[in-house]
Amino acid sequence: MLTLLIALPILGAIAIGLFPAKPTSNRFRQLALATAIAVFLWTVLLTTQFDLNQVGLQFEQSLSWIPSLGLSYRLGLDGISLPLVLLNGLLSAIAIYSTSRSITRPRLYYALVLLLMAGVYGAFLAQDLLLFFLFYEIELIPLYLLIAIWGGKRRGYAATKFLIYTALSGILILAAFLGLVWLGGSSSFAYQPFAGNHLPLTTQLVLLGALLVGFGIKIPVVPFHTWLPDAHVEASTPISVLLAGVLLKLGTYGLLRFGYGLFPEAWHYVAPALASWAVVSVLYGALSAIAQTDMKKMVAYSSIAHMGYILLAVAAATPISLLAAVFQMIAHGLISALLFLLVGIIYRKAGTRDLSVLTGLLNPERGLPVIGSLMVLGVMASAGIPGMAGFIAEFLVFRGSFTEFPVQTLLSMVGTGLTAVYFLLLINRAFFGRLSDVVVNLPPVQWDDRIPAIVLAVFIVILGLLPSPLVDLTENQTTALTRSPSTFSVSALSPDPPGTVGP
Amino acid sequence: MTRTAFKPSNHPLAAYIERLEAGGDLLPDSPENLVEVVGILKSYGVVLDAYSKNLIYIADHQFLVFFPFFKYFNGDINPTKLLRHWWHDRINYEYAEYVMKVMMWHGGGGLDDYLDTEEFQQLAERAIRAKFKFNPAISAIHAIFPDFLPEYVRQSCYYSALGQFWRVMSDIFLTLSDRYDAGEIQSIPEVVQYILDGLVAAASKPITYGVKIGDRRYDILPKSAGLTFLMDTAVPYVDTIFFRGTPFPGTVSYNAQAHQIPYFQRDFAYGALYADPLPTGGAGIPPTLLMQDMRHYLPDYLHEVYRTNCRGEDDIRVQICQSFQKSMFCVTTAAIKGLAPHPLTTTDPEEHEANRQYLETWMDRFITSRLEMVNQRTERACQLFPEPSEKTK
Repeated sequence: MLTLLIALPILGAIAIGLFPAKPTSNRFRQLALATAIAVFLWTVLLTTQFDLNQVGLQFEQSLSWIPSLGLSYRLGLDGISLPLVLLNGLLSAIAIYSTSRSITRPRLYYALVLLLMAGVYGAFLAQDLLLFFLFYEIELIPLYLLIAIWGGKRRGYAATKFLIYTALSGILILAAFLGLVWLGGSSSFAYQPFAGNHLPLTTQLVLLGALLVGFGIKIPVVPFHTWLPDAHVEASTPISVLLAGVLLKLGTYGLLRFGYGLFPEAWHYVAPALASWAVVSVLYGALSAIAQTDMKKMVAYSSIAHMGYILLAVAAATPISLLAAVFQMIAHGLISALLFLLVGIIYRKAGTRDLSVLTGLLNPERGLPVIGSLMVLGVMASAGIPGMAGFIAEFLVFRGSFTEFPVQTLLSMVGTGLTAVYFLLLINRAFFGRLSDVVVNLPPVQWDDRIPAIVLAVFIVILGLLPSPLVDLTENQTTALTRSPSTFSVSALSPDPPGTVGP
Repeated sequence: MTRTAFKPSNHPLAAYIERLEAGGDLLPDSPENLVEVVGILKSYGVVLDAYSKNLIYIADHQFLVFFPFFKYFNGDINPTKLLRHWWHDRINYEYAEYVMKVMMWHGGGGLDDYLDTEEFQQLAERAIRAKFKFNPAISAIHAIFPDFLPEYVRQSCYYSALGQFWRVMSDIFLTLSDRYDAGEIQSIPEVVQYILDGLVAAASKPITYGVKIGDRRYDILPKSAGLTFLMDTAVPYVDTIFFRGTPFPGTVSYNAQAHQIPYFQRDFAYGALYADPLPTGGAGIPPTLLMQDMRHYLPDYLHEVYRTNCRGEDDIRVQICQSFQKSMFCVTTAAIKGLAPHPLTTTDPEEHEANRQYLETWMDRFITSRLEMVNQRTERACQLFPEPSEKTK
């Protein structure tokens, strides 16, 4: 069942590659979209089959791969990865739908997006350390190419910077995984919670440090963040949507799953520093966002700030804060995707993202009123206005983290206020006021441009008003993760004998 | 002596002064302008006809009715009409009332003066007593607050006067359209001349108002008051609606304490000739209602012009507003020509000098108006914001 999530996009990419059509044909888009929707529907089906009362992995699949290296093909789904899998499916479909029909080299583009989708699925599903690393690295290649080929003026620079940073992140993660297995005397790379607890504390701290920096680059946290604004600014809109919505979550997911999951004992020691690090990220990201005049850069820096909340929540590692971390991943995934989508539409229709130039876009007949309204909704959600997903996520983060790190939590809450500041600046400059006399006829926005944004907005509001489905999906797993190893249900995590395949 | 011998004006809008002195108009003559102006005046005429009827109905039949729930129904109340009213598939009579209130607030002209006379007070008092002779509660309130009900009556006078004014204008615009359809009107100067002729023809038309209470008629604006169409309704209307107007809340934030809104009403410049058409369609922008009404009655040839715009019919109300502004500059030209002390094309130096002063006074008021904009060709192609260069950043 889970293999299908990885296989389908790969098969879709192959089909696109082999499809007999003109190089500029629209068939590639249709094929990619059909594949992405099919995969997303498959994840929805999996969700309906998911047992909320069971802790640990479900739909497991396990195959011996390279026994001599202790490498196995192990996939599994739990309450932490399932929401992210759903998010990946949704945003991949939206990214494909949002791609311009006149994109150059569509065959390659759509094939790469599907490969990216497969890589991310693999990373979220992998229950083997090396398999996770493999998928983690695999998704770099399509993303690098997607920025380098279809990006903006400085795409080469941005893509290379992204590749160097993320490759370095991969190296550190690989080093930590290898260290854990070799120093721990294990013969298997199979993921097991609390696996690092039996190592000496110093060793744990070193390995955890490598993971923190590795995943910290991916999240990204200050000072490893500089690749992100460049990548966002140069990437096309759909790729920005995937980057902010899903790919950054690999960092926080990795931190939660592998950083905290493997080294909970060492985590206890580094948590205060991590929480402080999160505060720095939150405040630095927010203050940097205030200073931006490029709308896309502002949203990118806002991402850095909001990912900081996840870091704070994971650092606190209370049942509520871990639940909050997952909730914030989903909320931020939806909100940032919405904001990047809207910024993309604005750029396409207005010709600029410069806040010192744009004005009056909320004009009801000559501006972009629907896009403006959705933007207002998006920034309100991002600023944690009640009734939207961002509020639930941030409330849970602060509620869950305050007991462990009251000072850091209070300082992070300042970030929420700053979010309101920079997004009010954005709304006030670009949307309010009179439409410029220089521009009296902005091109109209068609309904098919609006649909993806409306879909995201609906999800944001639904999650804000009805968070329980997501909470129910995740809560048991995150609560179990905060318990001691002895009480954590690992029945589903014990390595299967090589060669067996799960249901 | 030829006109070219006259000293050129130093006014910032001297070009327009010279154009008017040469027999031209504030709006340049072009096929597109002609189509827009005549087409929009056709739909405006239809709408004004409805506004006029309703204003006169309210003045005559809702006199001193404090809660006139069905005032927009012109006496014809039925469930279908009520549903249409709530559905807003109707003429927006609210706009006519808005104009009436603006006109009343700014005042000016003989009507405004007459409403402050002792004679009016007596006539209004007589009507009020007749209306409430069987209503001791209201009579008591009137005794305690004697200025309250007369103010209501003044408002009714404005309802009626504006209704009568628009009745004339509606007829002028509709017959103008008919003449255009018949091929008799072929240029902007002909449009202006036609409007001017219409205004002149109706100039001395008396403005009167009376209400029937019980079986007796009570004069409020008697014929003896000497109120006439041109000087007592048309001129104040042009002054208040074309020039002064009121600031629209919601478009721009005004700080009245900082005098961002002029202290004196006479300094207001929020009228139709100054309005930015772009916010049309937004909440709190009253002309939106007028444009919404006019869109139902656009002639096909004008509709076709609008369809060629970047956004097609999505921004039709803005386009209507742009055309409407052009047409109002034509009406203003007619008013300027009609009220000029001497024919504007005169070659007599003294008359010319008097005209020059007269025109410069008008032009002073046009400095901040949209005159320059309506003299530019309407941009109908899609545009993007210019991406700022690195130098300008």
